[in-house]
Amino acid sequence: MKDILIIEDEILIQQSLKKMLERKGFKVDTSASGKNGINLLIQNNYDRIICDLMLQDISGFDVIEEAKRKYTLEEIGQKFVIMTAYNSPQVLARANSYKCRVLNKPFDDLEQALCLMTE
Amino acid sequence: MDQVKAYYEFVDSKESADISLLKRGSRFFVMTSQGQVCDLPLYRQNIFQVLNTYHQGLKSPEIAPQVFLFTKNAINLTKKIFHQKEDIQTQETTVNWDIIFKTIQSIGQNSSSLRILSEKILELPFLKNFHSSLVILHIKGQAKAEIIGTLWKSEKFSQLFETKNFNVLFNSIKKSKLKSFHTDSFSTLDLPFNGSFLGKDFVSKKYSLIYLTTRHDFLNFQKEEIDLFQSAIELLGPHFERIIDQEFNSKRISELRICLKDFPLPLRLKSNFIENEFSNDLYEKSLEDRDIFFSKKVEQNFSLDLYDCDELRHYAFDLFHFQRISLLGELLNTLRHELSNPLFGLKLGSQVYASFELSTDHREMITEIEKNIDRSQLIIENFSNLYQEHAEAKSYPLRKFIDESLTLAKSEIREVKKDIQYLNDTENLMVNQPLIFIVQIIFNLIVNAAQAMRDQETRPEINLKTTFFDNNIIIDMTDNGPGIKPDKLQYLFKPFFTTKSYGTGLGLLLSRNLAIKMGGNLEYISDLPAGAHFRLTLPIQGPT
Repeated sequence: MKDILIIEDEILIQQSLKKMLERKGFKVDTSASGKNGINLLIQNNYDRIICDLMLQDISGFDVIEEAKRKYTLEEIGQKFVIMTAYNSPQVLARANSYKCRVLNKPFDDLEQALCLMTE
Repeated sequence: MDQVKAYYEFVDSKESADISLLKRGSRFFVMTSQGQVCDLPLYRQNIFQVLNTYHQGLKSPEIAPQVFLFTKNAINLTKKIFHQKEDIQTQETTVNWDIIFKTIQSIGQNSSSLRILSEKILELPFLKNFHSSLVILHIKGQAKAEIIGTLWKSEKFSQLFETKNFNVLFNSIKKSKLKSFHTDSFSTLDLPFNGSFLGKDFVSKKYSLIYLTTRHDFLNFQKEEIDLFQSAIELLGPHFERIIDQEFNSKRISELRICLKDFPLPLRLKSNFIENEFSNDLYEKSLEDRDIFFSKKVEQNFSLDLYDCDELRHYAFDLFHFQRISLLGELLNTLRHELSNPLFGLKLGSQVYASFELSTDHREMITEIEKNIDRSQLIIENFSNLYQEHAEAKSYPLRKFIDESLTLAKSEIREVKKDIQYLNDTENLMVNQPLIFIVQIIFNLIVNAAQAMRDQETRPEINLKTTFFDNNIIIDMTDNGPGIKPDKLQYLFKPFFTTKSYGTGLGLLLSRNLAIKMGGNLEYISDLPAGAHFRLTLPIQGPT
């Protein structure tokens, strides 16, 4: 596994994560908007997609819905990692319905979070 | 009441004149030009007898009015009718309508309730063999009807009556042509008597009503008897209406009085005639001079006054406080969400930066930046946790609870001299309680103390002393501020009590509730000559 897409509108978070992941040897693409993120994930084949839930244009769940055109539900559960500051029960329930991993912002433990993104 | 006039003209008479046949409800009256009145059902036979002599057409009073021509002298005719009336009066079996009118009037005047009215109806001369008299009242919108009345002329009766049954009975009576009934036909209705009965239905905007009377026998009623009953009870309609209205009103007034009695402000109703028409408990309790806070002239003769008092001030501020609290909650939530993301970005950014090769100066600076980010994050979280209901208990050394509280209150106690003592080695004592609850309580106490001491000349001091006793940690917080005045002590833990113009009056109450939730308590101890002393007691292991 080496190709990762980060969809996150907070540039400082996006770029920091990119740096950290690149340092671990991954190839990282980024997008600040959900729509551009969708284009990228349709055109390229990423091993992992790390997606913020509250984007400026659309929500992270919209991105996943679009990704269904390309990936099976099982692939989505494997590829997507959701990041969110709003860990309400509704959000968790919906994330669970896609069977994808959820990371709460801010991360309690940075290394652990990076592992979860890449394992 | 519908009125139908039938003119019976008497031609062949110079004095001439007519007899009017008046229909009021189901009753007919005959009126002569001389203004004399007699009742048709009673004298119908007589009238028919007379009239039929001249004309065969008038068979029943229900027949639409027609004009009949009579050739006989009118005076003779009326004489004949009224002459016979005098004869009938002497007979025992017949009814005198004058007496009925008078009885009805006196029944109406002397009845102050539906029960009395129902009892008195039996005073009507033609009902002298009737023993029971019942009113079934259904006030519109109420779940059940009620039977009120008297059984066997002695037993007072009152019972709820199913609305469903009421409707069955009401419609049967309304639609019946005979207007004579028998309990056998209503065996499912659970009427409190057996036998034949007479019934009359009334309806108004507010209620439906059935009047029933029975002799408790099984004999059928005579047509005349039924007519008489229907006509006479019809005349009672306005009395029913008036009495029900009165009962409504007195009930409403007594309910209103009960409400106003407990009204949380001193209140008084004055009238021109009586100085104290009504006043509530709070007014009675404190008779010292009060300012009128609100006065309203209710009607010409009445005025309502509300009086100024401490309670009023509290209540008036309620709304204001609630608004502030909810605004604060919203604000904190927004702040938390809006600041968390950029702070997280800063944190990640600085971590990336820290991983570069840096000079010692730069490394120190980046470490300082990270610390500040962490502190900002903690403050935001702690503030938004202040309004949180649930929190997880975790084990930390007691020192951490105190330190977190002091960090949060840092700006408030910048100028304050702090003295923290951990007695009995409590500094590293492990306490298994929700961190944010304890932090919130201590933070609250510290901020309260700091604000109370803000303008004093001597240097403000806060002392925290922790001890351990019987599985409880005891945190005593004292200050050298103005303390709590004895007269305010009773309000200390009351909601919305505050001595600060900007306070919410909720801090201490919330703090005590949190302490109780954790299995402990928060109390005020009046043992200092000056200054305040709060004691927080908490079990080291919270309730599970």
